[in-house]
Amino acid sequence: MEKTGWLKKIAGIAGIPLAAFFITTILCGVQGVKLFETEGNWILFFRAAASVMLTTFALSLNLNSGRFDFSIGSVALLSSVISASVCTAAGLPTPVMLLLSILSGALLGLVSGMVYVIVKLPPIIVSLGVALFYEGFAFSITKGYGVSFVANLELTSFPGVVNYLLVIVCGLLLFVFLFDYTKFGYDYKALLSGQKVAVNTGIGEIPNAVGCYTIAGALMGAVGFISATNTGTIQMALNFGSIGTMFTAFLPMFIGGFIGRFCNEKIGYLLGAVTTAFISLMYARLNVDASIQQIVTALILVGFLIYLNNENKIIELVMLKKYLKKRQI
Amino acid sequence: MKKAKIRTYMLNLTPLLGLAVLFVAFLAFGTMRDINISYGLKSIMNQSVVVAVVATGAIFIYTLGSFDISLGASAAVSALIGAMVYNRTESISAMAAACIGIAVFIGLLNSVLASVFNLPVFVTTIAMLSVLNALVLVLIKVNGTGSEIAVPAAAVRAINNMPFKIIVLLCFFLLCVFLFSFTKIGRMQKFQGGNPVCAKLSGISEKKMAIIAFALSGIGVGLGAFLSIIYAPTLTRNTASSVGMDVIIAIVFGGMPVSGGARSKIYAAVIGAFSMTLLGQIMVMFNLNSGIGQMVKAVIFLLVVFLATSGQRGKMLPR
Amino acid sequence: MKKFWALLLTMAMAVSVLTGCGESAQTQTDTAGNAEQAETGNADAGDNAAQAEAGENAQAEAAGLDMSNTVKIGILVSDATTAEALAFRTYYTDYIQKQYNVEMIYSDELTDAAGETSAIDTFITNNCKAVISFSSFDRAAQIEQCEGAGVYYAVATGTLTEEEYETYKGYEHYVGAIGPSLDVEFETGYNMAKHYLDQGKTNFAIFGGAIPYYTEMHIYRAAGMITAMVEAGGDGASYQGATAKEAIIGQIFADGEVKTGSVGNISILGYVGGYDMDDAWFGKCAQMAQTTGLEVILAVGNGSDFFGTAIAGTDVKIASVDAYASSYGEAMEAGMLDYLAGKFSASIGPIFIATYRAALGAPVRTAEGNALALSQGYWIAQNAEEFNAYYAVDSSVEAPAYTKELLDTLLTADYAAFEEFVGKYSFEEIQGM
Repeated sequence: MEKTGWLKKIAGIAGIPLAAFFITTILCGVQGVKLFETEGNWILFFRAAASVMLTTFALSLNLNSGRFDFSIGSVALLSSVISASVCTAAGLPTPVMLLLSILSGALLGLVSGMVYVIVKLPPIIVSLGVALFYEGFAFSITKGYGVSFVANLELTSFPGVVNYLLVIVCGLLLFVFLFDYTKFGYDYKALLSGQKVAVNTGIGEIPNAVGCYTIAGALMGAVGFISATNTGTIQMALNFGSIGTMFTAFLPMFIGGFIGRFCNEKIGYLLGAVTTAFISLMYARLNVDASIQQIVTALILVGFLIYLNNENKIIELVMLKKYLKKRQI
Repeated sequence: MKKAKIRTYMLNLTPLLGLAVLFVAFLAFGTMRDINISYGLKSIMNQSVVVAVVATGAIFIYTLGSFDISLGASAAVSALIGAMVYNRTESISAMAAACIGIAVFIGLLNSVLASVFNLPVFVTTIAMLSVLNALVLVLIKVNGTGSEIAVPAAAVRAINNMPFKIIVLLCFFLLCVFLFSFTKIGRMQKFQGGNPVCAKLSGISEKKMAIIAFALSGIGVGLGAFLSIIYAPTLTRNTASSVGMDVIIAIVFGGMPVSGGARSKIYAAVIGAFSMTLLGQIMVMFNLNSGIGQMVKAVIFLLVVFLATSGQRGKMLPR
Repeated sequence: MKKFWALLLTMAMAVSVLTGCGESAQTQTDTAGNAEQAETGNADAGDNAAQAEAGENAQAEAAGLDMSNTVKIGILVSDATTAEALAFRTYYTDYIQKQYNVEMIYSDELTDAAGETSAIDTFITNNCKAVISFSSFDRAAQIEQCEGAGVYYAVATGTLTEEEYETYKGYEHYVGAIGPSLDVEFETGYNMAKHYLDQGKTNFAIFGGAIPYYTEMHIYRAAGMITAMVEAGGDGASYQGATAKEAIIGQIFADGEVKTGSVGNISILGYVGGYDMDDAWFGKCAQMAQTTGLEVILAVGNGSDFFGTAIAGTDVKIASVDAYASSYGEAMEAGMLDYLAGKFSASIGPIFIATYRAALGAPVRTAEGNALALSQGYWIAQNAEEFNAYYAVDSSVEAPAYTKELLDTLLTADYAAFEEFVGKYSFEEIQGM
């Protein structure tokens, strides 16, 4: 019985990413392409995993609390603009740029959180205003040109499997620590499951919410850094052009939610990000058209959610079929 | 008690006052800058009508406390298919019917998918957004010249005028006001949005409410798509791409609470759409650069919504 | 207390924004209506104002033009963030607007034909006498709308199709178009590929930019590249069976992409199109740039920003078509950009003069009384030294390629002189003017 439980757990944790790996490998194999052939493929895989994992953390930590945040993409954009501008102007090295990105992201998140708790408007509205403001600010400080440091070999040297792995490990450990082993994390969970009760028991909702926005901002700062150092350029976005970043995190968030039944939810988010990284790598290896990518990703999302929300019915149906089959025999 | 009543009344009027202030500012700055005000008013109508129509329909979704992020993409697909139908039939009525039919179908698909498969509605609309965006590319590639699908400008010239657009907006608005304020449907929608548990216990079907809301919203999207073709008959991959976000902003700008429920206002969409356009027109007079202009818009947006909802804040943080 | 904080925060945000507005408004006040200012930017402001006033009056007299009233011109843009778009904007707002009695009103970044119609409506509301368009979702509708409203309309950095020109050339308010024609775009791609084929390179990859969106100029540039490969590919070389220019253009239109494979002895080893900017897309870019044996990446648009880091430390060359921006200079110095066909920012000077003249009541027309249809080309930089020389002139808001002094000669020019002026677009020719 115990053995069955462990097997079930392992299957629950590794099932989806492994299935994604096998399916993408087979699809590539059919076309005569290897999923992982060059170092570049590994770099793409780990970059996508790191970037999507951090975005998923940032999105989920507010969304799980009912706070829909359209501004996370604009925080990534503006924080990377700030850090890249400073580092290129002062000739600072890559670790400083990473640190500056995270700090400026945290500051922008803090501002966003402060606006939310002060004006007390629904977060979705605040995030719309903040996204517009940050996009406009990034545009203004770069005079619309964005930042380009393609020729800066120091800052563009970051992409590499080891560096991305370090980001993944550090990001995951910090996130787990903050939300599973600190008072802040316990308060967060209490507010998550019962806002009114938690507030009545004396938990400081306002500092917790501001803290969440600050942490989400710091995470998005790291995402902005990863994106900027990938090509050495930061392109500007206006009129909500930055919200696309948010959409990359929905599928891994739901996958993470499912895997979270069998292990820590944060590991679930990482595995969700790994799953989408396999899919992204397959798109790149097979040169899949953007419109087909959009449809396939949407269908996977819907299909997965249909399963998630109707799991019991599906299991019942499968059991019923098995039962009927046995009876026929 | 009386004071509180007056305060609530005034707060409810804030979005309307905001619109009036923006209108006065438009006239004042316009006079100072010697602009063509009468042409400006026509232009404001032209620029607001699509968002006003789509957002008015979407109020039914927002009243349920839900939202649909795929409205812009739905309008784009409806317009493209409407244009293709016109090019096959050369009939404006067939084009209008196609626009509305497709938009209602997409709305129903969203709600039925959500209902049948027990999915959160906003998640289905996120997935639908991706599918519809991809469909736009596919439709243009398959049925257009590669980069566009166009209806001959001459075909829609006769109805590209103010009276026609005002009549369409007015008819749809009155229909929505009637359904929202004078029928059981509107009351049930508000009840459902305000207190889903009580609504369920009272025998109101959540799924039915969602289907009705998305169908009505679909009519608005379809009409918006139809008006888009009339205004600009060349449709490209980004046609109506801004409508989705504009609708959300217009609705909030007009004083609609995003949590839905009893405080929902059917007129919020029209007020919000016209306020947004007026604000845009005033900003043009100041000729700000793109970045600063967007920052000013963001601040004014937050400020107006803050003032408009200042009577609705509770002790806890809103979610 | 909370209300106090709320108000404080709002006021702080408003003040920070309005500070920005103030600066902008100040700039606006300084620029619009300040035709009195500056013949060149070297002299001090007082001298400038006096010189410019004297110079302009003389010019106005010579031209018989009344330049005393500020002319408002609406600028339609579908792109507000690329190096090219920003360079053009800087030239108009930081140079032209300071030299002439004009006010440029910019549209938002337009994304569709409805946006164009709305923006033109807004320009008309603001009493713009003319519209210069950098946006092409529906040219015909723009021309018709402006003609109907009695507003002059001009196309910058592009041209109409022959069919469109035949339809609109006689319209009273259609000023014309000055920019690279599709033939010039084809030539640009052709010359770029030929530059490397002449060096003996045989393994290419193509970045197709907006080819998946069927943007004509990108298709023509790519077709030019492939035509050069067909010519250099030896006997029987063809691209998907096509050998002639028209057939190759048609093939790309039909496919919506460039197919990889052999063109005789020449190989197209990789192709990426679109601007998806997601993980998969960047993966495709990196993958293409690191293809074994690849020698040159030919980009129909900006190449170094997307492929530069991927080719760092290799011998792969990147050739781009874009504008003169400082980042490209750095990329060239670092070996990440080898060849740039760039639009120069002042190239939009002549179309401004044509539009301004029309608004002042002295339009320039062909001998038959038709609108302008003049073609311009690119400045080609093949090394950092050339780039720096071009960039120094191109980025200057004191002495750009087309200075006021040069542009003023167009105020009185007839069509032949105008055509001759525009035709001399190379860096050396302009410097020799």
